Amino acid sequence: MPFFSALIALAALIAVAVVAGVIWRARDGRRRRGSDAVDLTDLGVTVGRVALVQFSTETCARCPQVRRMLQGIASAHPGVEHVDVDLTHRPDLAARHRVLSTPTTFVISADAALVARFNGAPRRADVEAVLTELPALQEAS
Amino acid sequence: MTDSAPARGIDPRAPRFGATTTSVLLLVATFLGLVEIGGSRFSAAFWLALVIAALFLWSVLSPRTAPWGVLFRKAVRPRLAPPAELEDPRPPRFAQGVGLFVVAVGLILHLAGVPLALPIATAMAFIAAFLNAAFGFCLGCQLYLLLQRAGLVGRAAPAA
Repeated sequence: MPFFSALIALAALIAVAVVAGVIWRARDGRRRRGSDAVDLTDLGVTVGRVALVQFSTETCARCPQVRRMLQGIASAHPGVEHVDVDLTHRPDLAARHRVLSTPTTFVISADAALVARFNGAPRRADVEAVLTELPALQEAS
Repeated sequence: MTDSAPARGIDPRAPRFGATTTSVLLLVATFLGLVEIGGSRFSAAFWLALVIAALFLWSVLSPRTAPWGVLFRKAVRPRLAPPAELEDPRPPRFAQGVGLFVVAVGLILHLAGVPLALPIATAMAFIAAFLNAAFGFCLGCQLYLLLQRAGLVGRAAPAA
């Protein structure tokens, strides 16, 4: 390939990488609608409490920072617990909850409904906005 | 993936620094691979990709002694403020393994005579390294669950 054509190909490659990064950043951590029904088997959720269920793996670079953030929210809100589910050796759980990347966070209401789902690193304000919508929590606080 | 939990964390800026140098090397390798299409098998692009693969292998086998990590600790980190928090070393190590796999496949196909195999492999690895360096997004780390779904990793030891 001529020198100049190769330079153009490199510019295109960098542009593709930048666009991929911008799209990823725009989509990461956005709130998605929950599917309501959720199978709580093996998740370790206490029925009757609001749960922030975080799915992690050992190879997840951003899970520790999300863990700290969600633990902070849980300790600031009575009636909310943080549950960390390690999927490293649990492909069955990953498949059941259709988790394709970590961190993924579920907000599960006290009556065991999946009210919100975050793929990627959620913003603290977005998680807290979900909590304020939950009636049980408003009564508790 | 039989390692026990890490004794202590690493500076999160170290893998970003490594990803930056790696993405520059991969960009140069891709450029050489494109310019040298149809040239000798043992071209400059081949040797550079071999060096990059060796660096990936080094980071997988011994992350503490790998060159970019040592350079970061000796030359870069003393000029920076201490890290706010330490990070698990396992995700970047896994991602280095993914990079090694991609570049190694490119090298093997290149030696087998597949045209464009080398620049395509280094371009794919470049995108992953660039996303880590520029956006803090570890694409290699994210592949773990997809590989698990495909049955390639993470099935050996179901949690008790």
